[in-house]
Amino acid sequence: MFDFPIFEMPTIGLRMLMAINAIIHVFVSHGGAVGGSVVLALAAWWANKRNDMASYETVYRLLLVFFIITTSVGALTGIGMWIHANIISPNAIGGLIRVFFWKWFIEWIVFNFEVVLLLFWFMTWKEKALTPEGRAKSVRFGVFYAASSWVTMLIITAILGFMLTPNFDGQPWVDPEVYPGNVNYNNALFNPTWFPGLAFRTFSSIAFAAALAIMWTWLITAFSKDEAIRNTREGLIKLFAKIMIITVPVGAALGYYYLLQIPEAARAMIPTAMMTRAFADKMDLMYMIISGIGGAVVVTTIIAYFSPKRMPYIAATLMVSAFLLFWGYEERTREFIRKPFLIYNYMYANGIRVTDVPYLNKVGILKHAVFVDEEKKVIKEDKSNLVEVGHTIAQIECRACHTENGINGLKALTAGWSEAAIRNRINNLPGGGTPYMAPFVGTEAEKDALAAYIASLNKRGEIK
Amino acid sequence: MNWKLPFDIPLVVPTMGLPGWFFDTLGIIVFVVHIAFIYTLIGASTASVLYNITGVFKKSKTDDLLAYKMTNPTTISENMGALWGVAPLLVISVLYTGFFYTAILKVSPHILHIIYGNIFAFLLSYAYKFSWHSLHHHKGFHIAIGLVAVLTFYTLPPVFMSMSNLYLQPETFATVQNIWDMMLTPLTGFRLLNFFLTAFSFTGIVMIYLGVKWVKAGGEDADAGRLAIDQGKKWFMWAAPVNIAILPLVFFAFSPRISEAYIHTPFVFAPFAASVVLTILFFFLLKRFGTAEMNMGDATKAVVLMLVAVLLMATARHGIRVVSFEEPLKLQAEATEKYMTDVITEYKAYKEEMKNAPAVILDPAVSLADSKGCLACHSVDTALVGPSYKEVAAKGESADTLTASLKNGSTGKWGETPMPPQNVTDEEAKTLVEWVLKQK
Repeated sequence: MFDFPIFEMPTIGLRMLMAINAIIHVFVSHGGAVGGSVVLALAAWWANKRNDMASYETVYRLLLVFFIITTSVGALTGIGMWIHANIISPNAIGGLIRVFFWKWFIEWIVFNFEVVLLLFWFMTWKEKALTPEGRAKSVRFGVFYAASSWVTMLIITAILGFMLTPNFDGQPWVDPEVYPGNVNYNNALFNPTWFPGLAFRTFSSIAFAAALAIMWTWLITAFSKDEAIRNTREGLIKLFAKIMIITVPVGAALGYYYLLQIPEAARAMIPTAMMTRAFADKMDLMYMIISGIGGAVVVTTIIAYFSPKRMPYIAATLMVSAFLLFWGYEERTREFIRKPFLIYNYMYANGIRVTDVPYLNKVGILKHAVFVDEEKKVIKEDKSNLVEVGHTIAQIECRACHTENGINGLKALTAGWSEAAIRNRINNLPGGGTPYMAPFVGTEAEKDALAAYIASLNKRGEIK
Repeated sequence: MNWKLPFDIPLVVPTMGLPGWFFDTLGIIVFVVHIAFIYTLIGASTASVLYNITGVFKKSKTDDLLAYKMTNPTTISENMGALWGVAPLLVISVLYTGFFYTAILKVSPHILHIIYGNIFAFLLSYAYKFSWHSLHHHKGFHIAIGLVAVLTFYTLPPVFMSMSNLYLQPETFATVQNIWDMMLTPLTGFRLLNFFLTAFSFTGIVMIYLGVKWVKAGGEDADAGRLAIDQGKKWFMWAAPVNIAILPLVFFAFSPRISEAYIHTPFVFAPFAASVVLTILFFFLLKRFGTAEMNMGDATKAVVLMLVAVLLMATARHGIRVVSFEEPLKLQAEATEKYMTDVITEYKAYKEEMKNAPAVILDPAVSLADSKGCLACHSVDTALVGPSYKEVAAKGESADTLTASLKNGSTGKWGETPMPPQNVTDEEAKTLVEWVLKQK
């Protein structure tokens, strides 16, 4: 990290910037592309099989909504993940692209099939809907689209799993004693959380997409001027509820299985990840909230199944909100439990590789900070630039998670602390209280500079 | 030259034994497909709004139909353009990681406009397309939606062009501080001019091709087809001549180091060749599409010639990369190797030291205090956020009072900073309090 140019995101911070893009992407890719393709292909097949042209038309209108959202918000936030990751940690995304270049390339090829099939399915729907053979062909486009969008998730989850569990069975994917020569790409790919993560995501995505489909079916049928379309609500909602009755419990069970595969050190981070540090000891409250939301989803599903006509719109939107909350939380937790690493045992959250630490502790982090001005690299004899040097170190080592005075701001976090207290804290990272923090890297003089800078944040404007 | 270059990522590029030219060719091909879709996107979205407006003013149904039909190539090329943009990014970012990522960081946060600006433009272009019939009686509002979408699309190339001009010239890393330092340069202006001219001439060819297809289909579409051929020809004839003149010059607008070295490579012929191909296409269109004589074969030939011109432009651009990156890539590799040797030596020494270091036996109470996070705010002998344990012990409070403070939190005893309640069992509290009281 230290050798790339420094870019800071004031107030909202880099982590939040990434989270906004990532969470939007997960909503759309899971609910729209992966789950949505399965649910819509199934609904189109179901309507065609029963020769129910009104329902078939409603499915088209649903597809219109899913098409617009997935091809705009979904596809672009997908590319956005890369650009955002690049801004926050070029070393991490650069490393991942080196390790997974060919997998990513294959994913891109499959992604081509996905987009082309979706374009074909959607843009030829009207013309193919005229004959039974045409409709059967159209449904086939849907099925292939669903299959290809699942394959893209198959590959991406390998990379996500790798970041959490890169080493296993005593066969590390990279040998720090001899790398960069020795990288085992297969060990990187076949990491232990790949398939549990994939299985869990597959079923919960379909459940989420079915909930979304219920909400949109409700809207489309409520606002249609066509009576035939209005009458399709009952059947379609019942169908989607049926999908949920199967996928919600299976997804939950697979989620638990996935949880068990996560390394213990990472699992210990879950309470903090879910409740933040201040409420980490209130996990019982979390369980209550989870059971409440889960229970609400189950109850609404049952209502939707047995009495689809009476299913109120508010129930459908609540169900979708519950899923959104759930996915947002899942993403936050999955990202957080990896701390203090970005890639477990290989790279810290601030982009510094574990192997670099002993060397950088000796020569200092600023020696190789290519893009830092020379006068901000070396502390002057009279220490007049101590705070400025400390600021640079904070930009390099702290900015991935902290802002100066915004979200997770250093100023507020250290209010009332003496400089000695701050230095002691930096000395004891990660430490028992904050196991998610990366260790300080650099010389003792650099540590002094960082402490002086952080202490200065609360001294500004004080009359001396 | 005073280079500022990040180290390379210390992981080998997984080439699978394939030669360098394989990746270069792959990079050029995927880029050509990407840029062909982007040219079409810029042109087709513009055409759609343009003929929508002329349709209103001339009260012409044919113009309106042509405008509507142009929303299909817009939809296809925005999706395929974004998709095929990923592949060149992937190839470039694995081959030239340091340069590419440095450029992205330097133009941040504006680079995010590529994401959020595109989402905005995509959604508006869908709104424009799918509200065509329902907003039929509100043409002004409808055109406004389309216009905002098109204008948003127009804001994206300057951002992207600034980023790519920066990464193509690593010598500017030391001086360029933000996107404007790059956007407001003659080079970016020159390349943008080339980009938009190519986009319009490319779309002209696409319109001719589609027009021939629609004429063949007959019916109402045939009128729109004839109009598309007529207009497509005009687009090309207006945009191409300027492009033919400036193309060979664009590549000399780079920094002197690059331009001078470029002259001595075979790549120097590529922009001239592109101009020649465009000129041939110009006369071909004049001759073949001057009369009612139109057929699929001619339209296909025009498309192929246009693609050849774009391929030549992309090859010329790749030439810049080859010329420009030769020196900095070498410097980067040397610096990375030295750094990694130092790092690995130090890391091995550290591992050895750890192996031989005597195991530290910690007081279980200290471990407990550490794991509960007590040591984040307290230390044994120095006052930090909270008082030192020595001070606490010296104050002489009873074990019960301390246990209560530990479990329920306390404030006011040592200044205003409160101590929050701690998550400890009775037994843990007992261990901790006994240990604190021992510190006198």
